[in-house]
Amino acid sequence: MKSSTQEKYKFKIALRWFKHNQWKPFPFQLETWNAFLEGKSGLLNAPTGSGKTYALWIPSVLQLLELQNFDLNRSPTGLQVIWITPLRALAKDIQKALLQFCNHLGLTWQIDTRTGDTPTNLRAKQLQKAPTCLITTPESLHIIFSQKKSIDFFKNVKIIIADEWHELIGTKRGVQTELAISRIRNLSRFNLKIWGISATIGNISEAARVLTGADGNPVIVKAQIEKKTEIETIIPEKLDRFPWAGHLGLKLLPQVLPIIAKSKTTLLFTNTRSQTELWYRGILNVKPELAGTMAMHHGSIDNNIRLWVEDALSTGKLKLVVCTSSLDLGVDFSPVDTIIQVGGPKGVSRFMQRAGRSGHQPGGLSKIYFVPTHSLELVEGAALRTAEKNKIHENRSPIEGSLDVLVQYLITLSVGPGFEKREAWKEVRNTFAYRNLPRKEWNWALDFITSGGRSLSNYSEYSKVNFHNGLYKVLNRRTMTKHRLSIGTIVGDPILKVRYNSGGYLGTIEESFISSLNPGDIFWFSGRPLEFIKLKDMTVYVAKSKRKGGKIPAWGGGRLPLSSKLADLIRQKLENAKNGIFEEIEMIKLKSTLELQQKWSEIPGSSTLLIEKTSSDNGHHIFIYPFEGRFVHEILSALIAHRIGKILPITFSIAMNDYGFELLSDQIIPIEEALESNLFSLENLVEHMEECINNAGLAKMKFRDIATIAGLIFKGYPGKFISNKHLQSSSGLLYEVFNHYDPDNLLLKQAKEEVVTLQLDYQRLLDAMKRINQQKIILKETERFTPFAFPIMADGLRQKMTSEKVSDQLLRLQKQLEILAN
Amino acid sequence: MKDFKITYLGENLLLHPFKSLYWERKKILLLADVHLGKAAHFRKSGIPIPEVIHQSDFDRIEGLINIYRPERLIVLGDLFHSSYNNSWQTFKKFCSGKIKLVPELVLGNHDVLEENQYDFLIVHKDKIVLNPFVLSHKPLETDRLNEYYNLCGHIHPSVRITGYARQSIRVECFYFGKNHGILPAFGSFTGTSKMPKRNKTDKIYAITNQKIIHLF
Repeated sequence: MKSSTQEKYKFKIALRWFKHNQWKPFPFQLETWNAFLEGKSGLLNAPTGSGKTYALWIPSVLQLLELQNFDLNRSPTGLQVIWITPLRALAKDIQKALLQFCNHLGLTWQIDTRTGDTPTNLRAKQLQKAPTCLITTPESLHIIFSQKKSIDFFKNVKIIIADEWHELIGTKRGVQTELAISRIRNLSRFNLKIWGISATIGNISEAARVLTGADGNPVIVKAQIEKKTEIETIIPEKLDRFPWAGHLGLKLLPQVLPIIAKSKTTLLFTNTRSQTELWYRGILNVKPELAGTMAMHHGSIDNNIRLWVEDALSTGKLKLVVCTSSLDLGVDFSPVDTIIQVGGPKGVSRFMQRAGRSGHQPGGLSKIYFVPTHSLELVEGAALRTAEKNKIHENRSPIEGSLDVLVQYLITLSVGPGFEKREAWKEVRNTFAYRNLPRKEWNWALDFITSGGRSLSNYSEYSKVNFHNGLYKVLNRRTMTKHRLSIGTIVGDPILKVRYNSGGYLGTIEESFISSLNPGDIFWFSGRPLEFIKLKDMTVYVAKSKRKGGKIPAWGGGRLPLSSKLADLIRQKLENAKNGIFEEIEMIKLKSTLELQQKWSEIPGSSTLLIEKTSSDNGHHIFIYPFEGRFVHEILSALIAHRIGKILPITFSIAMNDYGFELLSDQIIPIEEALESNLFSLENLVEHMEECINNAGLAKMKFRDIATIAGLIFKGYPGKFISNKHLQSSSGLLYEVFNHYDPDNLLLKQAKEEVVTLQLDYQRLLDAMKRINQQKIILKETERFTPFAFPIMADGLRQKMTSEKVSDQLLRLQKQLEILAN
Repeated sequence: MKDFKITYLGENLLLHPFKSLYWERKKILLLADVHLGKAAHFRKSGIPIPEVIHQSDFDRIEGLINIYRPERLIVLGDLFHSSYNNSWQTFKKFCSGKIKLVPELVLGNHDVLEENQYDFLIVHKDKIVLNPFVLSHKPLETDRLNEYYNLCGHIHPSVRITGYARQSIRVECFYFGKNHGILPAFGSFTGTSKMPKRNKTDKIYAITNQKIIHLF
């Protein structure tokens, strides 16, 4: 029974501190402490701002104290705890929280952060003398692996905590985290304890297994913090019957302002950084008096400004913050009492998480307002309320078997201390992501980093990783530097800094936006109008401007697809409308739009698949409404176009939104014939998918990220344009080269697979096809664009699909131009 | 596969889908921007590009020589991509074995080999004047042309054309402007750059697998 008295003593230390702060531990905190100190690994399912940090930090400290017989004057030797966070901006806050408990006990343990922001000399110091606890990101951990000293550095680690694990699990950064944990498990001389912290997602127990690896047996602790959420949709007084994405939003400002006025502090979430800038500008135009108490927060704004905003938020100095998902995570902003979501949140979990950022007092009510950006989004408001009532949450599916991440990781180890084949194989196979990695693919990856690929003759003079005395090692110094700079899996457009001409840093912007500007042009950034002066050395120089108007930058990757859970509910709501049932206030408001849709065509729903056919000055249009979300539509539309293209040579331009997609051609589209020959058949599905993925350029787009992660494209040294012009090539060109000359290249294969697997489960596409096959297909020829067709047609982003020869297509286009010219 | 005949300043020029230009009267075959050795240069830096890609360049050169039987083969710059690597030897062997003439090279910005490594070629440092044309790598400034028409490379031209139903397509091309006729990049491992807005009098010949199409 010795352990039980010690147990009591241990807890006393913690409880005394809670009492000191006039807190009472939540049952989930006690439960986590117990499970942790019993030696278990696991996952804590708790929302942000609930006390989750102390649920895990306290038992970590207690375990370490026990090892030194509760001598408060000693510090453990070497690195003991690794705290992984997805956002480097959060590292400082976590550090503050961890230090509080240690300071109270009078412990002088070193608790450090290590992220991209950490100065080089401090990083070197950390490697010399390891802190007790290190708060870091997956990327920064991998960068440590690329250091020679990394083997000793990790040998005393006992605890790894993965914070906000739900943000990492569905991404390649999640795979990086798994690899890091498996490596440290191997390097450490102790039994590792691994804990995750996650918001509620549909597959919480899978999330726990992914984190703890192939032979983990994790416990799951659920924080039963019941919180009431109230969802209210802002209903436009007058509704356009022809909705156009994004055009409704700001019109609702007069209805949004009173909500802000009567609240203490409001967070206004938008879906994209551009929308954030747009709303900030819109509000400032009508309410200039808000200037001092209103701020903006998004991922591209200068870190210092962000920190200031976060600080001002928690001290209650701000009335309104316009933000993106950048404020989804992080510390508790208790003054916040109102949340406004602009635009469909596209997923239930994300929406509920945002709602949870308000009303933090125990038993408090979370109130969230939903502002639709086009009238059809009203349906989403109704669907979200049903989802809240039925406690529906989406899954975040883990990524498996990514060869690009594996290749990058193996090179990382080779840049560091080098790796031995059998040991690395064991480490890699111990992760969830690679537990089924075929030996063949492993060997290919080894070949790839040493000789460039299978056929040696084809890859003579190749130099990257050398096989030397049983170790895979990089010997070339330049290769080392280049690789360390490219570690990571977040890939985007080249990023440029924005700076005042007179000095002063504002944030970052994507190169593709700036390339559309000329000196003298005005654009909005960081909430103010700026005049573009010049672009030099990866920096955009600007000056303050007094002019109104000006462009708003578009940042890539802003659009999230509709989740299948929410899509399901939307189809149900529309099915009700089809049957004349209009219950929710949103649906009642939409009645006249839906009735017009019914008059001109039909209301799409869950029992039918609606196809509309029409023509305009632009050409011949087919609209199909599966309501499966953008990602499924991207592939489904390519597949449908491809199958029609088998009937005759034809070229399509394809547009889509979350509700449906459009095929547009200058030729008459033989849709009737296509439907007769089973357009949606599951037969030959895999084969046709492969063909259309090759054709539609979807794989080529995916290859951009894969090639960058696997190190085929070097983005240059920070702050400099690519120094070696002779090494420039585009991923598009590399894709063509491999497709032509090395078609067995597995990275190529990965690109093709990722088109399906990374965007969605293949299963989801299959489910969609199966569902469509059970629906009654209704083909309507309409005289004009219907309310459902209009927003798709107006969407700017388009992809292309053709079954014509380039020369034929070119001749056809040329003929059209001829006619125009005459 | 068929070539396409155009007439400039009274001279017949044959444009081939293999991305070459043949000057009929002078029996000169012109290529630009071959970028040999680029794959090996990438491999040396740890980016595995297969060598076979350049085989297609050799095959096309050989094919063109068999078609036209030229008296001169002139490369308008950027024959070799970088500093020396093994591919240069391959090219040297190819020249002595497969083609029965001494290739000529107008040096381009990428041609940075040692002078003696070019000993099996005829090297022109700057430009070649052959009435009514002047041949160069980069397009020459208009005031340096002295009434000659400039055939050149360097740009790797392509154009995007658009039509009904929001369709568009991007193709490599021969771009003949007022003073310059720009050849497409010959090499298989090269990118292209989109030409700026076209002048009304500019002539564009698009390259497809099958044939050359006169667009404008």
